[in-house]
Amino acid sequence: MTLVGINVEMVGARAKVSGAVNYIADLEFPGQVYAKALRSPYPYAKLVRIDTSKALALAGVRAVVTRDDLAELNPHFGTGVEDQPVVVIDKARYVGDIIAAVAADSREIADEAVALIEVEYEELPAVTEIFEAAKPGAPLIQEDHVDKIAGGNVHGVYRAASGNIEQGFKESDEVIENTYILPPVQHGHIEPHAVTAFWEPSGKLVVHTPCQTPSPLQEQLAKVFKLPLNRVRVIVPPVGGGYGGKNHARVEPIVALLARKARRPVQWILTRDEVFLTGRRFGALIKIKTGFKHDGRLWARKVEAWYDMGAYALSGPANTKNACIIAGGPYNIPHRDYTTYAVYTNLPPAGPYRGVGASHVCWAYESEMDEIARRVGMDPLELRLKNLLKEGDLFITGEPMISVGISECVRQAAKAVGWRDNEEQAAISAGPFVRGKGLAVAIKSTSTPSTSAASVRLNADGSAILLTSSAEIGQGAHTSLAQIVGDVLGLPLDRVSVTFPDTDVTPYDKSTSSSRTTFHMGRAAQIAAGQIRDQLLQAGAKTLEAHVEDLELKEMRLQVRGVPEKNLTIPQLFRAIYGEPSGSLFGNYTLRTEGGVDSKTGKGKGSSFWFYSAAGAEVEVDVETGKLRMLKVATAVDVGKAIHPRQCDLQNEGSALAGLGSALFEEMCFDNGQPINGSFLDYLLPSMQDHPIEFESLLVETPHPDGPFGAKGMGEAGLPPMAAAIGNAVANALDGARVRDLPLKPDKIIAAIQATKKGSLK
Amino acid sequence: MRNFDLAEPTRLEDACAILAADDDAKPVAGGTALLTIIKQGLLVPKLLVNLKKINDASAITFDPQRGLCIGALATINDIEISPLVRQHYPTLAEACHLVANIRIRNMATIGGNLAHGDYQSDPPTVLVALDTNVEIISQNGIRWMKLTEFQLGSYETALAPGELISAITIPPLPRGMTGHYVKFTTGSSEERPCAGIAALACMEDGICRELRLAVGAVSPRPVRIFAGEEAANEMILTDQLIDSIAFEAARVVEPIDDLHGSADYKRHLVRVLARRTITAVANDGAETAA
Amino acid sequence: MKIAIITTINGQRQEIQVNGHQTLLEFLRDNLKLKGTVEGCSVGVCGSCTVLIDGKPVSSCLTLASNVEDKHVTTIEGLSQNGDFDPVQQAFLKHQAFQCGFCTTGMIMAVKGLLIAYPHPTEEQARDYLSGNLCRCGTYKEVLAAVKQLSQK
Repeated sequence: MTLVGINVEMVGARAKVSGAVNYIADLEFPGQVYAKALRSPYPYAKLVRIDTSKALALAGVRAVVTRDDLAELNPHFGTGVEDQPVVVIDKARYVGDIIAAVAADSREIADEAVALIEVEYEELPAVTEIFEAAKPGAPLIQEDHVDKIAGGNVHGVYRAASGNIEQGFKESDEVIENTYILPPVQHGHIEPHAVTAFWEPSGKLVVHTPCQTPSPLQEQLAKVFKLPLNRVRVIVPPVGGGYGGKNHARVEPIVALLARKARRPVQWILTRDEVFLTGRRFGALIKIKTGFKHDGRLWARKVEAWYDMGAYALSGPANTKNACIIAGGPYNIPHRDYTTYAVYTNLPPAGPYRGVGASHVCWAYESEMDEIARRVGMDPLELRLKNLLKEGDLFITGEPMISVGISECVRQAAKAVGWRDNEEQAAISAGPFVRGKGLAVAIKSTSTPSTSAASVRLNADGSAILLTSSAEIGQGAHTSLAQIVGDVLGLPLDRVSVTFPDTDVTPYDKSTSSSRTTFHMGRAAQIAAGQIRDQLLQAGAKTLEAHVEDLELKEMRLQVRGVPEKNLTIPQLFRAIYGEPSGSLFGNYTLRTEGGVDSKTGKGKGSSFWFYSAAGAEVEVDVETGKLRMLKVATAVDVGKAIHPRQCDLQNEGSALAGLGSALFEEMCFDNGQPINGSFLDYLLPSMQDHPIEFESLLVETPHPDGPFGAKGMGEAGLPPMAAAIGNAVANALDGARVRDLPLKPDKIIAAIQATKKGSLK
Repeated sequence: MRNFDLAEPTRLEDACAILAADDDAKPVAGGTALLTIIKQGLLVPKLLVNLKKINDASAITFDPQRGLCIGALATINDIEISPLVRQHYPTLAEACHLVANIRIRNMATIGGNLAHGDYQSDPPTVLVALDTNVEIISQNGIRWMKLTEFQLGSYETALAPGELISAITIPPLPRGMTGHYVKFTTGSSEERPCAGIAALACMEDGICRELRLAVGAVSPRPVRIFAGEEAANEMILTDQLIDSIAFEAARVVEPIDDLHGSADYKRHLVRVLARRTITAVANDGAETAA
Repeated sequence: MKIAIITTINGQRQEIQVNGHQTLLEFLRDNLKLKGTVEGCSVGVCGSCTVLIDGKPVSSCLTLASNVEDKHVTTIEGLSQNGDFDPVQQAFLKHQAFQCGFCTTGMIMAVKGLLIAYPHPTEEQARDYLSGNLCRCGTYKEVLAAVKQLSQK
């Protein structure tokens, strides 16, 4: 009886269907008060004067914090770059930047108090468009954190290259060049950000927050408040969706500051409008130039991509650097030259997002792939198979690629959408409704290097607990981790518990993001549980007078393989170790992966494991209105090993749907930094009616030697190829008419059709 | 929610009295529009007048001579599932079904919908095609207006302070008139409409006896395409004629640029959708012709 | 200002005191401590605050608490009777129609409403009825599978 590979009942399932999950907003602390923030109405403005006296005078207000409360702190925090103040000090850098915060006895009083704070601003010229922001001479948003050589608001420039790009273009039979654009989009986690913070009388800070990075958050708070780590406690309840939007410190520092001043627990649940101001995906502009041979070989590729980080960097620099090495896609290309730019803008901070920087470059390189297919007269599937990375090929980083399942992914995706040539497809089309199919592949890295530590504790009755700072954000981490531990120790699922992150108790984890939890924490947990297994085997070998190699843990017993009568229960093993069936057995392991790439050369080890994925889409285009109808979507991901296959399918469904949303209609619109559609009234997430008529998830298993049971990571992989798969399907339906800036809204489709003067438009 | 007082009258007349006496008071029916505005901080009323405790303003009745009467507090769902509406004005039921989502339809009232005046809405377009009248109540009594005169623009109506919509009335339709309503969204199915077309026709032996065509959601108020309707009178609805009516519809509307699309695109869309909707209605007639 | 009304919540008829400006969602969570109904967007779009009033789904975030007077309110907590799961909950478990769970209680209540309105819904009817309940994690396919199973009873 194994757990790994089986669709066990998810940990927490019963609580979820009965409304018994205690999300952050459900927690109540004695004496708690409520926070509300005053936010900048300008995209860029000097903070001239703040007067909080009227707010403070309002009955029921417990505390107000402004820049005057930062004296004893390290006022700036950040993921890599510490460029974000706890509260605005000199300048507000985006519409929504927090100027002041109030804690009051009720949310209504807090609202009223915020309205009573008087502020004087001096507006500054803002820059909200990426290209403009990157230009030397643009108004500087973060003077201390820009690359002075690159100029403008460029924080960092990342490069990767191989061969000789000029020679490569010379040797190419044909060269094409295009520009692709993606707007910012929302994570869309249905649970808003929320925090409750309080200070124990001893001066210890306790923060409850649905944060995907409890350990780094603990470090960030400790640094801000000048505390040792043991005096900062971060506790993470079940998270109502994250997708990167709840990574790192967001509003925790200011709530902690308020709590200290108010001397009460302070709860802040952000409104949905505020969530729009707290995180998003980068917008990007990508210029891509590709040289190829008539036989379809990719020969040279140059990519320049500008990523819009917003007013504060968060993980922008790392994400932009990671995007650089994958900027040309998962292909063998002899001559490559990639440059990515991380740029500040006067927009809400971006930060990590499901698929982060991979989706942007994929939109560009996979759209180009179909362009190339058209020009060389090759089937787009065949063209990809000809050029895709294979096992052992060297990547641009110089590393040999292993566990490469990408060709299998694209084959399966193609098969799932019934891939056939365009003429047959056109034959199904009727009147103004024209059908097409499209494919796309993607590659992405996971955060490398990184660290995950796991502790496993076995009780004398054979039940176990895994102490982990990996958050359960809906991705099923706690279940797959329990499955792994259960299989190592021969325990059924209900005998393995997984803690929620609590930095007082659970060891360090870099993050629950980057689809890294199964591979990193899973492996750490596997090894930690293995230490307990070894202790049990040693104890059992003595007692049973057997060799360790002949023993196995199965169904809560230690038995001699093939001789089931010779067995010991776990309580009996404890008795053998401790003299009585009581006590604890421990296993602890810190997994650290090595690697990383040089920012200037792109050389190194880009990822401890690579994600490979492919998407297939069948689309119907109404050539008169431009409206698209999603007939079928297939998402194929190389998971290494599916620990819980159905949960992997569900993750693929989520990735595909979010990818579909950003492909078809999601976009955050701003007017000189003012959000125009900053609420769910105007910014829609895909609904059940938007869900394709048919969706299929395909799991390819190309085992990875370093993953637990061969598993890699897959939570994000299905998202990056979606936009290009849909874009390619549309282009195939429309005889090559193509839209290069997302989303693919009907008016752009009509414009593309009219531009090529094709289609049956009356 | 932000603090406000809540008055709960049990009669429309009493609600009018409270509103007339207090400039800062606002009526609330379903709450789906007003409460979202309050939550977004766009309105900070001190007093809300809750209309949901008024029991006699939501009835739906039908009389063959006078037509349909719908109480202002009938919900969109009430209208959608009403056997009377389905039998006599199925196009209205069709449009109501397409409004937002099931929860909004269960809560929002037709009076609230028309008083709010959101141009990106479905029922008003069909109601304009149906020659709807609005019954308005105040402390001075009752008055009636044509819906087309009641609607002044985006979020702008002819409702004066102290007035409430009490009912809408829809005249009887010519015998054999069938219709279609088409809602077009440019993005998610859950978006408010980018364009809404209502077409009703009375077809007899392939001849159109009467055509009604209304276009909504593209401009601040729904528009009747009277010239197009006239052109269809007593004519066979050939593809060419339908196309010219659609062209007229696109010419007449004054679409506005918004998040859903540019004015140019909307004009283009109106032409396509009007053509399709009239064609569908003309074919309905062909199928049911004796 | 307090308003006293009689209402029935999860089968229990009771007199409650609500604030005029309180939404039903606030009352359920803050006064009755029924935390199973959650807030996602506060403007009636996401559906995570769905409860049934007289068997019809509504957005509790936009319903004035006072307006449940003389009505029957059903929340997620009212589904499990005697500790057993309601058939909808069982179907959700069987088909794993959840991930983070935040939209799940609202989705379950919407499915309850669907089955009251259409005891044997087609997939088209189900998609149409449920399209106002948003899920970002990705569970629509599984919810529809659960509904299909329930529609066959």
